[in-house]
Amino acid sequence: MNEEQLKQIKADKVVDARGTACPGPLLAAKKAIGLIEQGQIMEILSSDEGTKRDVPKWAKKKGYEYLGTIEENGYFRIFLRK
Amino acid sequence: METKKMCMALFTGSLDKLTAAGVILSGAVADDMDIDIYVLLQGARAFLKDVADKPEMLNMAENANLRKEFEQGLKRLNVMPWIEFFREAKQMGNIKIHICGLAGKLWGGEKLEDFVEIADDIVGINEYITKAQQADIHLLI
Repeated sequence: MNEEQLKQIKADKVVDARGTACPGPLLAAKKAIGLIEQGQIMEILSSDEGTKRDVPKWAKKKGYEYLGTIEENGYFRIFLRK
Repeated sequence: METKKMCMALFTGSLDKLTAAGVILSGAVADDMDIDIYVLLQGARAFLKDVADKPEMLNMAENANLRKEFEQGLKRLNVMPWIEFFREAKQMGNIKIHICGLAGKLWGGEKLEDFVEIADDIVGINEYITKAQQADIHLLI
């Protein structure tokens, strides 16, 4: 998805992991993905540079769809579909 | 997808290496791996009930002179204490923590109750070798 499309998304679950460093956001994502249904969208907020790369790769391995990332001022919004 | 296995020989009893082990463990848990941790010699001391939650009883493996920076840095970044990585992993995934029988005795840990509550059992070396033979990832820390 492009950034405009991503901005339109209203996620079913938003995980704010901006206060933590690696591996905090990944663990938070792992926990939260169990709480949503198949087909629902999760948005992860992270200020950790490593997470920006980790989460899409992790999602691919686990069979979740990575929709894209928006870079905000000082943090990232990462979108996944379960 | 076939479940991958990780086997970790955790020899270390030092604060910095235990923290690294905890971070690696988190990655494996996020990937839904089956994880077996064998806590050996120095590690078994760190897993004693009376030690695990007291970082002041542990040393650094490297750069001992930078301990203050290390601890303050982790705090600033909201990184949890090393033992909490293991507790959290235990809650989230399929992870077993085995204490080496010899090591336990060395530090006065004769029974499972002498160790932190997340320890599963006290085992001999053959179990470790068997799991290591079957593992997709094997680490010695």
